[in-house]
Amino acid sequence: MLMEKLGMDKIEESKNRVQALRASRKDIKWPLLSEEEKHHLVHQYHPDYKKEAYGEIRIGPNRGEKTVLEVVKLLEGESSIASESISLSAARQVDVLIIGGGGAGATAALSVKEAGASVLMATKLRLGDSNTVMAEGGMQVAISPDDSPIQHFMDSLRGGHMENDRTLLKTLVESGPSVAKWLLDIGVLFDREEDGNLSLRPGGGSSRARLLRCKDYTGLELMRVLKDAVLDEEIEVLEFSPVVELLTDGEGICTGAILKNLDNNKYLTVQAKTVILSTGGMGRLHIQGFPTSNHYGATADGLPIAYRAGAALTLQDTFQYHPTGAVYPEAMAGILVTEAIRSVGAQLVNSNGERFVNEMETRDAVASAVIRECQEGRGVETSSGRRGVWLDMPLVDLLNGEGTLKDRFPNMDRQYSRYKIDISKDPVLVYPTLHYQNGGIKINVDGESTLKGLFVAGEASGGIHGRNRLMGNSLLDIIVYGKRAGRAASLRASETEFRKLTLRHLEEYQKEQKSAGVVPQIVSPILFPDYVNKD
Amino acid sequence: MGKTPSPRGGMMSRSITIEFDGAPHYVPEGITVIQAMWHLGHPMIRGIGCLNGVCGACTITMRSPSQGESRTALACQTMVEDSMSFTFLPPDASKKAITPLSAEVPDEKKLLHFYPETKRCVACQACTTICPQGIDVMGGVRAAINGEISAVAERFTSCVMCGLCSMVCDARIRPHRVGILARRLSVAAHPGSTEQLYVRIDEINTGRYKEEWERVMSS
Ligand SMILES: Cc1cc2nc3c(=O)[nH]c(=O)nc-3n(C[C@H](O)[C@H](O)[C@H](O)COP(=O)(O)OP(=O)(O)OC[C@H]3O[C@@H](n4cnc5c(N)ncnc54)[C@H](O)[C@@H]3O)c2cc1C
Ligand code: SF4
Ligand code: SF4
Ligand code: FES
Repeated sequence: MLMEKLGMDKIEESKNRVQALRASRKDIKWPLLSEEEKHHLVHQYHPDYKKEAYGEIRIGPNRGEKTVLEVVKLLEGESSIASESISLSAARQVDVLIIGGGGAGATAALSVKEAGASVLMATKLRLGDSNTVMAEGGMQVAISPDDSPIQHFMDSLRGGHMENDRTLLKTLVESGPSVAKWLLDIGVLFDREEDGNLSLRPGGGSSRARLLRCKDYTGLELMRVLKDAVLDEEIEVLEFSPVVELLTDGEGICTGAILKNLDNNKYLTVQAKTVILSTGGMGRLHIQGFPTSNHYGATADGLPIAYRAGAALTLQDTFQYHPTGAVYPEAMAGILVTEAIRSVGAQLVNSNGERFVNEMETRDAVASAVIRECQEGRGVETSSGRRGVWLDMPLVDLLNGEGTLKDRFPNMDRQYSRYKIDISKDPVLVYPTLHYQNGGIKINVDGESTLKGLFVAGEASGGIHGRNRLMGNSLLDIIVYGKRAGRAASLRASETEFRKLTLRHLEEYQKEQKSAGVVPQIVSPILFPDYVNKD
Repeated sequence: MGKTPSPRGGMMSRSITIEFDGAPHYVPEGITVIQAMWHLGHPMIRGIGCLNGVCGACTITMRSPSQGESRTALACQTMVEDSMSFTFLPPDASKKAITPLSAEVPDEKKLLHFYPETKRCVACQACTTICPQGIDVMGGVRAAINGEISAVAERFTSCVMCGLCSMVCDARIRPHRVGILARRLSVAAHPGSTEQLYVRIDEINTGRYKEEWERVMSS
């Protein structure tokens, strides 16, 4: 008890310093890091560079390459149907099967429908339960007269450490304006300026203001509308029906999938001319023990099943740790505090009340700086043993006028006020949270993977964002590539017959496991994180 | 009770009593209702989604000593309290009307055209009272009856589509469905403001950036 008391006093003391020094920090412009300084900072402190967290993938298309141990285990895992006997005669037939009902999946479904092909969507939870619904900050589109797709491209390339697939990236930024128009057409309500023009805000790592958003509910708005549109098109959606394995013709073409009905644990075999995988990210793997901002179903299910069926991955070793995840209260740990709050003036300060980084550096740099402060003893420790630095939000109102926080960030305000924290009065504690899978399944501009007939869209794919995604580029990605994958998969379906359904790829994978001496340590995909208390 | 690891990492302590589905249970303090469910051995599949207060999957009705009346809340956003009781509520079962935005009906009439029962609202406030997001739902419904699309849209900005408003409405009105339709329709009420966007699309389509691209892509 005494310890806890002492701890609280220390936090209060530090918080008072933050409040006292606020005015003196207010107008100071913190310099941006030089490329060299940034390189140094990131290499020293970013979790992506922590060697002991990585291991070699011993089998499959990316054999010999590295990724984090959690993902190695997933890829080398045992199929959950290995010991089941499942009928491979199709219970359902459809032109295009879409797996995953988030933003990318919903967009793809609409695009398939528009192309006139038949479509079935299967998703793990309910339609729309996803990472998409949580996006707060916004979506990047180069619209303003002082901006251009080239500028957007260069910013993204710099953010991605120059390792982005340039063709994918060019298509992403060039399609931005037209998909923004499409979103307006289906009824997405983006914020406007007083004069009625679309409002654009700056984002970290971006040289121009190009974030379209809806308050801090951008993802909710997008997902609500996409979902409404999917239902309007009467697209059939199987909820609580995750995919557990893909099917191939045994000759390198994807021909369908096996779904598991979570209500009765029965399997459903679906035969499709093409398959679009849009299963999203991996935050719930809690890589390197990090908390996460992701939804409950973000367990990277798409990776092991696509990999076993022969699809190659790219940049599978890089993840985004969002610099500002909540640290306190404990119940909010890992939850995102949107970057947009920093873009309107909130500062990061250490336990001494001092700033230590320009808040608008790219995410990997800001996250590294926060980790550095904490490792070097300038962080604040909570009673539950978490560390963090202060995000000084009251500054936002000081800089932009009272009420700005509540008006522009109603979601953030509501979340904190549930725990009796007033973000317009008090700074909050933050630490990097596992946020986004930078890499994923390798695709071409049509969204097709290296496994023919398997298209991938959204966070499950890799290449577009290089080693670090720029804020706001993922929402753009899911719409642009959701549409492209939908179109290309429909076209291919129109030229294709139904083909054989086999699990031969799985048998081959098992053989490879054996000959490489790989003993699977887990069953994958895992579908849900295991949080249940076993006592 | 000793310290137990929390699902999000970190440690938790001190045990309190909560009542779930009528039976008492002990859980550590400082966790959310969803985390308490895990603690009690329930692997959640329904009644869970974003864990972030925006998907509306985890609605509960609860009573706690700190407030007299029972109220609804989102389980992922609610911390357990000593002597609280709660029950999970069913998911949204309201049916969505098929609402093509381009239907041949004037915009201000579309809400009632697709959701005609809306005009049966008896202003009982039940929807507003139950909304876990604190939305003035009834105000939205009244505005819908008056055809004020933008006013409806504005009210439902933070709607998480949990469907509780529609569950409690005796007149079988589906306020959240009307709300989202109003939002989709209201985009068209901002015409002439996307000039920049059209200019940019045109520039891209007519090859304005072609040379720059060649330079950038080959560098
Ligand atoms: C808190 C938060 C804030 C963010 N803010 C922004 C932002 O401001 N701007 C931005 O650009 N990006 C942002 N992002 C990133 C962005 O939201 C996501 O990367 C993007 O929405 C992913 O879309 P998706 O469709 O690929 O995946 P998701 O939206 O996650 O959808 C995946 C779907 O697949 C389903 N699924 C999973 N496994 C299976 C399976 N085995 N079988 C069937 N279905 C399955 C899931 O249930 C889900 O419905 C944010 C992310 C988070 C978590
Ligand atoms: S519950 Fe139904 S009848 Fe009552 S105010 Fe709300 S919409 Fe009107
Ligand atoms: S308006 Fe209705 S559906 Fe929306 S959050 Fe409130 S109760 Fe839920
Ligand atoms: S799980 Fe989404 S609102 Fe609680």
